[in-house]
Amino acid sequence: MKNKVRALRTGRDLAQGQLADAMGVSRQTINSIENERYTPSLPLAIALARYFGVTVEEMFDDQAT
Amino acid sequence: MIKQRSRPITRSKWFMPLFSLGMGGVVLAALWLGGNPGAGLVSLGLMAAFGLFILLAGRSETIRGLRGDGRDERFAQMDLQATAMAGLAVIVALIVAWLVAIARGESGDPYDWLLATAGLAYIGAVAFFRWRG
Repeated sequence: MKNKVRALRTGRDLAQGQLADAMGVSRQTINSIENERYTPSLPLAIALARYFGVTVEEMFDDQAT
Repeated sequence: MIKQRSRPITRSKWFMPLFSLGMGGVVLAALWLGGNPGAGLVSLGLMAAFGLFILLAGRSETIRGLRGDGRDERFAQMDLQATAMAGLAVIVALIVAWLVAIARGESGDPYDWLLATAGLAYIGAVAFFRWRG
């Protein structure tokens, strides 16, 4: 699913590993989300949105093709 | 940050090595009871070697996932898909073996009851998960 995780992460100067540690997942999972290969669970999507202070809808776009 | 429940034992890096060692012990006991302790010791050695390998095999995601310490929700999903694929492969192999056996005029045992077990387990699992919601 198209998302803004990479933009928000790099905007805060965070490495994938740092975000992964904060979310309790592997670095590869963050990489897969950023590359739209993996759609996170609802709890992880909410946690990511809260972490960056945005809404889930702002972070993930299910309308984009 | 996601609230972490108490960390399940399957997410320890010791889970798979100790599970392998334990299985080796069980196989040793079974073969010993069957009068073949030599084969049991070989099995234990192989399982212990596998456990040691996976304990020391590095930090690739695949190894860490198999070992236990690299598991997260994405790996859990992969694990589910891999388990389903492995189950499907076994069921296909059983169907082929069963068809070959009955085509040769044999009884089909044990493939028939193994297939029946697989079918019943699938139906039971669907009913359970539907009931659980």
